[in-house]
Parts: sequence; structure tokens; C-alpha cells
Amino acid sequence: MEYRNVPTICTYCGTGCGLLLEVLDGQVVGTYPDYAHPVSEGHLCIKGWNAGAFVHHPDRLTKPLFRKGNDFVEVSWDEALERVAGELKRIRDQYGPDAIGLFGSAKATNEANYLMQKLARAVIGTNNIDHCARLCHAPSVAGLAMTFGSGAMTNSIPELENSRCILVTGSNTTEGHPIIGARIMRAKERGATLIVVDPRDIQLARFADFHLRQRPGTDVAWINGMIHVILREGLENKEFIATRTENFDALWEVVKEYPPERVEQITGIPADQLAAAARAYARAESAAIVYAMGITQHTTGTDNVVSLANLAMVTGQIGRPSTGVNPLRGQNNVQGACDVGALPNVYPGYQSVTDEKVRQKFLEAWGAAPPARAGFTVTEMVDLAGVGAIRALYIMGENPLLSDPNIHHAREALERIEFLVVQDIFLSETAQFAHVVLPAASFAETSGTFTATDRRVQLVRQAIPPIGESREDWQIICEIARRLGTPAGPYGKFDYAGTAEIMDEIAALTPIYGGISHRRLEELGFLQWPCRTPDDPGTPILHTEQFTRGLGRFQPVHYRDPAELTDKEYPFILTTGRVMFHWHTGTMTRRSPKLHKEVPEGYVEINPLDAERLQIGKSERIRLVSRRGAVETKAWITRRVAPGVVFMPFHFAEAAANVLTNAALDPVAKIPEYKVCAVRIEKITEVERPEKLVAARAGAS
Amino acid sequence: MLEALRKKIQEIMPQVDGVIALRRVGKGTAPHLFLPGDDLSELALSPQFPLPTPVRIIQAKYPDKRFAVVVRGCDERQLVEMAKRRQIFLDKLTMIGVACTKEQAEYCRCEMPFPKQVDIGETVEGIPQTFLDDFLAKPREERLAFWKHAFAKCIKCYGCRNICPECFCKECVLEDNLWVTSGTVPPPFPMFHLIRAMHTVGKCVACGECERTCPADIPLTILYKLLKRDVETVFHYYAGADPNEPPLMDSTIFLADMDMLHPPRR
Repeated sequence: MEYRNVPTICTYCGTGCGLLLEVLDGQVVGTYPDYAHPVSEGHLCIKGWNAGAFVHHPDRLTKPLFRKGNDFVEVSWDEALERVAGELKRIRDQYGPDAIGLFGSAKATNEANYLMQKLARAVIGTNNIDHCARLCHAPSVAGLAMTFGSGAMTNSIPELENSRCILVTGSNTTEGHPIIGARIMRAKERGATLIVVDPRDIQLARFADFHLRQRPGTDVAWINGMIHVILREGLENKEFIATRTENFDALWEVVKEYPPERVEQITGIPADQLAAAARAYARAESAAIVYAMGITQHTTGTDNVVSLANLAMVTGQIGRPSTGVNPLRGQNNVQGACDVGALPNVYPGYQSVTDEKVRQKFLEAWGAAPPARAGFTVTEMVDLAGVGAIRALYIMGENPLLSDPNIHHAREALERIEFLVVQDIFLSETAQFAHVVLPAASFAETSGTFTATDRRVQLVRQAIPPIGESREDWQIICEIARRLGTPAGPYGKFDYAGTAEIMDEIAALTPIYGGISHRRLEELGFLQWPCRTPDDPGTPILHTEQFTRGLGRFQPVHYRDPAELTDKEYPFILTTGRVMFHWHTGTMTRRSPKLHKEVPEGYVEINPLDAERLQIGKSERIRLVSRRGAVETKAWITRRVAPGVVFMPFHFAEAAANVLTNAALDPVAKIPEYKVCAVRIEKITEVERPEKLVAARAGAS
Repeated sequence: MLEALRKKIQEIMPQVDGVIALRRVGKGTAPHLFLPGDDLSELALSPQFPLPTPVRIIQAKYPDKRFAVVVRGCDERQLVEMAKRRQIFLDKLTMIGVACTKEQAEYCRCEMPFPKQVDIGETVEGIPQTFLDDFLAKPREERLAFWKHAFAKCIKCYGCRNICPECFCKECVLEDNLWVTSGTVPPPFPMFHLIRAMHTVGKCVACGECERTCPADIPLTILYKLLKRDVETVFHYYAGADPNEPPLMDSTIFLADMDMLHPPRR
């Protein structure tokens, strides 16, 4: 008889809420909020409340599997590990280390991701390690590094409620990051000016002083327009610009071409409203920018991010409490997976792989390091698998077959690959193509750390032992690495007593994590990086005295059209995103009964005017067609979208938005343009007559 | 107070199979089942955390065991209402009564910050509910606008329902698309909140946990305290006061027969 509650961190979004897993005799039976948590303060969203609901699901993978024809057979761990190590070794010897690619996971711990990139670099010998940050905030990492020198959220979540002005753009915060959304509503009640720039009529827009509805894909134009107004009216922070920044002169040269009247033509935002919002932002005592995928998932994603950085710098709204440029990272540990080096161009702590000094450091520490050139990104690795240049992929906890753009293409690539290993908790769409499936432990069954969006490193505590024969990610990686042969450096081993020891190794090699240890986290609750020494209290606000790169650098950019524009054949703009009740590819939320019940199937939001013109009725099944494919789904007629725009959530395999989306990439960050593509709507059936609907409903109940 | 509680638990432990109380975890507290022989050094009294739901969960699995539970006034009254609906079993439960401090009572704006039998702490007087009259004195339009604004902030986390010890239906009408449109945020005004409020009539003891866990700062206590006052005025029914009095509405017994509730455990 045992009943206890284990404090840990939610496995869904990047807010990093504290929750308690309620354990009765080794079973997770419920979830409670953690009232003492500094960010969530006893609050959870519906996903947090249901975070334990998938843990004991009968679909959980409990044994390693081998593909046999179209089926899978259960095998022993020894067999599975031997085969994985054997195949990886064979492919490395035959085709070279760069024929192998590895996916870290934004769902897994820092410790597991660190080991995954160490396996890639020190054991296999390639920089082909990446993860789904590529698909969400790669432009933030790139854009903010260029302008500020550090690609992370500049301020902390709790500060938001004291801000005097909040500019929310490309973030449906109350659904994507609900507990942060609640803080923004709280700021508004405390008298802040709320500016929402979003094509959709989201919940926050109802509370906004300004809701500016831009055409999807026109963000650089309205941001430049705001800067134009600020400079024209002398509202810029001259002292800040003079002492803290460089390259200011180039800014006006660009933004002078964006008077609000021209911006209105491009974006559809009324000129006077844009100007008024710009004034409110510039004049506020403290103003914070909050953004998410609506800014980054464009071919101009990096341009959008640097434009926001320009806006913050020109007004000096950065480096102080309740200000800053605040990308809301999507996943529980997407920040951490980036921090510990699950990226093809940097070692842990954003130390460049092309810097020979850095390479030397890791070569000495591990005893082996790959050549000093960047590896391939997730989207590139899938492409290369399709043409035979990547022969093996080892994917931990990611589901590219549903999350990649243009998934028909991704599917063909994975069908062709010589050896695919997928390590996951469920048999995801991607795992169904694997040659070997390794059953992993969920967040409730492992220990380590997650790093929340505000650089907050927090302990994940094991509540129950791994389900069935599943194993913790870090243990599986160690087993494979040892079978491949580990290098001889002082940090070359893959042999740890526990995850605390892995964190000690991360701290030793990663300056921004230098002062982080499990012991300190246990004592303090959290630490925000940079945290360089064992007595460093951490850094809640970045760039206070100077920017990470010294001076902040203005990077003025011109507006470019999205890669795909509407035309006669494809007259609607499709934009995609999240709903409150589901998570990404749905592997967990669609197996959580209460979440599934809220939104059991996919849909597309259509404005009533468009629906009337096309004679589409409520809940009618329709077909959406883009240049890449077609999906059938249900119409939801709502004013949340403007005429000419349709919105689809991306969680549903049977109505996968990413069949339609465009794989055109941002040239810098290589993120696909999920937020804009051109589609047309086709009717499948006639509009159902009301009496038929009544009859159908009576029959159903 | 904590030391007194520790002594009391040590005294009771030989007569029971376990004690349900708060334990320090992380930076806060959480419900925990202390077993005979367990170290009590991590026992805690505050910050508060409702314990009736853990009692229900533990008794459901171990209906024949005898437990003790540390209760504040609200916990005790909730357990009484749950027992009337066969969700917990008072005959297998020993209550260790804790009187809330003045500070705690003020925080909760509690009318009766103590259980029937106080084992630990000094009883303090309840807080007068004048803020309810102040609220009712406002013009109707202002009150309507107040609720419209408050409920528009709702992010449909169901936290108010999940944390509530009196919300134990297996099938919750709030999840039924017929009554509350599924999948929309905020949920339609005012169905979600008023249906939930009506379903707690005669059970709600106005502990305030729903408001405390609400991410959107919706002032739910005003609504629930007003409802509780109406029940008391109209029906002379005081939720949680007397375990021998039948429940105000016994439709839940009917629901139990239809297997709509978590089933009786014995």
C-alpha cells in the first residue's frame, strides 16, 4: 500500500508548469497542480491536468520490436540493441559517419539529448543531429543570435504580469501556452495596454486594446511600419540606440519605405491603428513582445524575428524587467534540447562546430569529435534519406511523418531508407516505418531536467518505474553507445550511475550550464541560464548591462512575399496551428480520453462569408486541395478567421494539415513555411437539409 | 502546531492502517499516505491542499482498511457530503481536526474555519460574509458585466471541477457537447460555469479551492458562496453539517444506480 504525490514538470508546452503526479501502488492515478511552483502557482491547463492520462495506455510500447514484412515481432532488448549497434556500425564503415542521422527530442530530458548528440558526435562521428526545434523556433535561435547574441527568451514568464504594454503576435497564447496567456490577461487587468497582431480572432484579441489582423505572411511589413512611425515621430530611445546598439543608420534606409499607408496595402492593417499601437508600445514604461510560431514558421521566419528585435532595440524595450523579446518555445524541453547541442551546427551551449578551438575542446573531453563542419537539419536528413545519401536514421521521440511539411514526400523518403530505428512511447506514424522500435519510458518514468521557455532548468522526477520492459532514453542511448565502442577521453564514457552524473558532465562542458547540478536544483527549485559557476544564482533577464554579443545589432530587412501566393486555382490562404486540447501529432493527447473528447477529429475554420459563397454548411465534410495533396475534413464556420483565410489544426493524422503545407524553407533557419500556403476548397456532398440532420442526430443518440 | 500534529499522529497510528496528511514535497506540500513506522519529519500542515479526494481514491482501493485523515473545517464538511453519496466511508475514517489560523481564515474568507472536533490549534472566529452583500448591492448591469468579463477569461482547464472534492461523477455533463459546446475556448457563456455551479448545490461547502486553482483569476468564490447562502436560506440545509441528515438532493443516488458515478466501493 503506497500513496504519494511526486512533483515534476509538465510534459506538454514550454511554459514549464509544476505538477504533482498522484501515485497509488505504482500507478499514476491523477495529476494535481503544484501550488508552490514559481511559474504556474497552482494553475494548470487542461493538458497539464491530464498529463498522466496516457501513461498507462494499453498502446504503450513495452517490448522492443523488429519489423517483419508489414508486421512487427517482439524481441529481447539484447537482440534489439545488438542489431541497432551492428547496423549503425556497418553503415558507418561502409558509407561513412555522415550517412547516419540522429534526431534528438524536444520531449526528452536534457540528459538524454546531451547523450544523443554525444553519440552522434563522439561515437558515430557526425554532426547530423537535430530535432524538431527546426520546425518551430530555429528562426528565433538564428535571428536573436544575430541581433542580440543569444537566441532565447530575454525575460521571465512571471514578469509579464507587471508589464505596462504587451505586444502578442503569432501566438494564440491562451491555447498554445495557456498559463502564460493567463498572465497576459492578468497584466491587462492591471492596466497594461494589450496589442494583439494575429490574423485570427483569438481569445486574447477580445481583451486587446488593439487587434491588428494582418494577412498571413506579411509580418516584416507591419513591424517595419511600426518602426517607421516610431522614428518619424521621434519616439525612439536615442540614448539606448547610441550606447547599446550598432548599425542604426541602416535602419531608416529600409523602414522609410514602410509608411503605414503602404503597410496597410500589404498587410490589411488600418494605418491609423498601426500607428497608434506603435506609439503605445514605444511610450510604455515597460513593453514586452511575446511571439510564437506565427512569426517563425515562414520562409521569412528569421526576417520576422530580427524585425521584432529591431523594434525592441529602437525603443530600448529590452534588458529591463517586464520588457524584452520573448519567443514562447513550444515543447516542454525544446529549449533544453537546443541548449545541450541537439543541433547540427553547435555543440552543447551554442559552441559552434566550425570553430576549431571548440572542436579541440570536445575532442579532448570526449576523445573524439567529428570534422568541423555543420551537419544536416531534420528536413534535410529526410530529403537525403529519399535520395540514398542518408542510409540510417535513429529517431528518438519525434514523429516527422506527421510533423514534416509535405508529408507525402517524407513518407516516400522513409520508405526508402536502409535502416530506421525509432525510440518512442507509442507506435507513432513514423515508428510504423521503422526496422527496429525501441520502447522508451515516458516523463513519469524517468528523471533528469527540462528547460522551460524562459531558460528555467527544472527537475523531472521519476514517479513510477518504466512501463513493461520499456527503458529510460538515457539508458538506451548508453547501451547502444557502449556496443559501438566509446572513445577514451575523460568524458568519453557512456556509463553513469544516474542522470545527476550526466548533468555534471553537461555542466563541465557547457559554460551557460556551468553552475547547474541536480543538487542545486533540488535545493533552489530552478536555475535560469546563463548560470556559470556553482554559486551563480542564474539570470532571469538577459542583456541587462550589455547584449550577449556586446552591442545589439540592427538588421534591417525588406518585406518579401510568402513562397506561395493565392491565385485563381488556389484562392485561399491556409494557415495551421495548435488547439488547446491537443498536442502536436496527438500521440499522447489523442490517447487521453478527456482531451480526445473535447476535439475528437480534425476540422478547418472557414469564415461565414466564404462558407456562404461556397454553399458550405455547418460541420459539412469538405476537401482541401493544395499543390501537394488533398485532405478531407469537417468545416467549422467561424469568424475566428478572416474571409480568404482558412485555419487547420495540425494534430490529426487522418486529416493531416501537413499533406497540404509547403516545404519551402527559410534560407537561414531552414524552417518550412507551415503558416502560409495556397489551397482551394472543394465540396464533397450537397449541403445537408435540416430535416436530414435532425434525423441523423436522432439516429445517433 | 506541526509538532502537536506529529504527536497526535504517532498516538493514532497504532489504531489505523495509515494516516492521510500533507507532506513537504519540492517547495510546497502534497497529500500523502503515512504508514505505520514511516518517518514523519516531512509532515506538513501548510500551505493547504485539499485531502478529501485522496481519501476517496485510497478508500476505493482499500475499502476494508482503516485510515485517519487530517481535516480542516472545509475538509470535514466535504467528507460528510461525500459520505452521503457513498464516495467515502466515515465508519472507516478517523478525523484529526485542525483549526485554521486567523491568517488562513482571512485568506479563505471562511465562515467556519474549524471542524467539529478540534484536536490541533486554537479555534478562531469566522469571517463575516459582508463582501457578498457588497457585491449584491451593485446594479444588475454591473454584475452582469462583471461575470461576462470574468468568464470570457476562462481557458477551460476544468481545474475548478478537477480540484473539487464534490465533483466525483464519472461522466461529467460539462464534457457533453449537448450542454457545453466541446473544444471551444472560452466555453460558451454562461453554460459551463452555471451548470457546474448548479451541480454543486447542496454539496458545495465554499472552500474556495476552485478559485485558488483558476489560472484566469475568475472570482468563483463569490458565485459559490452566494449559492451556498441561498441553499441555507431557502432549504435550511447546511452542507456538511450533519452526516445523519440525508443529502439535499438525492438524485446522485439515482445516478449511482445508472453507473454514472464512481461506483460504491463496498
